[in-house]
Amino acid sequence: MEITNITSPLRFVALFIGLLLLQVLVCNNILLFGVAVPFVYIYFIITLPMNVSLPLLMSLAFSMGFLIDLFGDTLGLNCMASLILSVLKKPIFYAYMHREEKFLAAIPSISSMGWPNYLKFILSLSTIFCLIIFGIELFSFASFGRIILMAASSSLFTIVTLIAADSLFNREPDRS
Amino acid sequence: MRNLIDFILKYSAVFVFTFLFVISFVLLVSNGRFHSSVWFTSANALSSKLYGMSNGVSSYFNLKAVNASLQQNNALLENEVLNLRMQLARYRSLYADSVDFSGTRRFDYVLATVLNNGTRHPRNYFTIDKGYADGVESGMGVADQNGIVGIVNVAGKNTSRVISLLNTTQHISVRLKGTNTIGSLSWKVNDPNVAYMEEVPRHSTFQLGDTVVTSGYSTSFPADIPVGTVLGKVKTDNDNFYVLKVRLASDFNHLTTVRVLKDKFKNELDSLQTLDISE
Repeated sequence: MEITNITSPLRFVALFIGLLLLQVLVCNNILLFGVAVPFVYIYFIITLPMNVSLPLLMSLAFSMGFLIDLFGDTLGLNCMASLILSVLKKPIFYAYMHREEKFLAAIPSISSMGWPNYLKFILSLSTIFCLIIFGIELFSFASFGRIILMAASSSLFTIVTLIAADSLFNREPDRS
Repeated sequence: MRNLIDFILKYSAVFVFTFLFVISFVLLVSNGRFHSSVWFTSANALSSKLYGMSNGVSSYFNLKAVNASLQQNNALLENEVLNLRMQLARYRSLYADSVDFSGTRRFDYVLATVLNNGTRHPRNYFTIDKGYADGVESGMGVADQNGIVGIVNVAGKNTSRVISLLNTTQHISVRLKGTNTIGSLSWKVNDPNVAYMEEVPRHSTFQLGDTVVTSGYSTSFPADIPVGTVLGKVKTDNDNFYVLKVRLASDFNHLTTVRVLKDKFKNELDSLQTLDISE
């Protein structure tokens, strides 16, 4: 019996709302050392199972980004970045993982991918995401160096929150 | 027809992507055009409700600092009231009380609480818990106990969104206190404590620490509301104008209670100005 991949839609609805609230009420107010912002909500896009169809994944990512934008008065910014992220998820996943049968419906997590691969996976995604966000938002306002600095530090901060989220929400049973 | 449907189904991902990408691109580049609708701002019902609940908890955290600045401001105001009372008593004894000044007060205050606030974007906004039901309209100035903080952008029924002073699209007419030196105040990202007073004529004199106040040339703010203090002069290419670095009086990281300034003469002044344009 396969019990590691029980994924009720309700769980993802709860995750969607929970991450939205967490991002809007807490993470949007954090600016660590004046440069780093945690974008914990992209965990929702990352953690959706790999067999979710691309149009659905894009729509969900877009809706999430759009709501974040509404709350944060950054219309268009987060929905564009998370849309691009959702498109890149699958190619990046298979850049680090073999196309095996067991990964077709897998939820990307530390337990399903293993530490090194998961780390590479979220590092790539969050770096791209932060580059898009700060690239668009600060393009005409800040120097190239500052955009890179903010993107890099925010990406690291985001990864820390993603790992925390993963160990919170994806605790898989030890006995299989 | 069948072929068309097959084609659409086959490339549905491409269509969905293009569709969503175009939407987000339009939202991104037309920043401002959709803001006439309150639903596209943080002042919409859902987010203001949520921010209101969150603010109910978090507003307790910086009460101590707010209290200190209120006390200080209160002391200043009490001194001023005493001074004015003394002057009034002196003039009353000199002249008969023949002129009635009541009703000439131009500005009214509406007290409001800041629900959410940001300082890290190039275009920052904040949401307050008063809307058109309380008489708040777009274009009204907003100040806290220390100085000005923004101008109302969109007014919903019970909430409004304010363009923060920390918004690169915002320019406010300011003056060096006690002089006729006028300039335009704008913010240049990064530091939420520093803004720049531009277009200061080169012949004007100033000293470090001089107070910058509102000029009173707009209907948003009355004259002489504090804005900040002069930190120094910035080198520019333009020989005719100075740019002054200004330390802002308000602490934008801890905005709590603000006042929306209602100008009673606004309609009259606006109608005069449109008269001028149409001719």
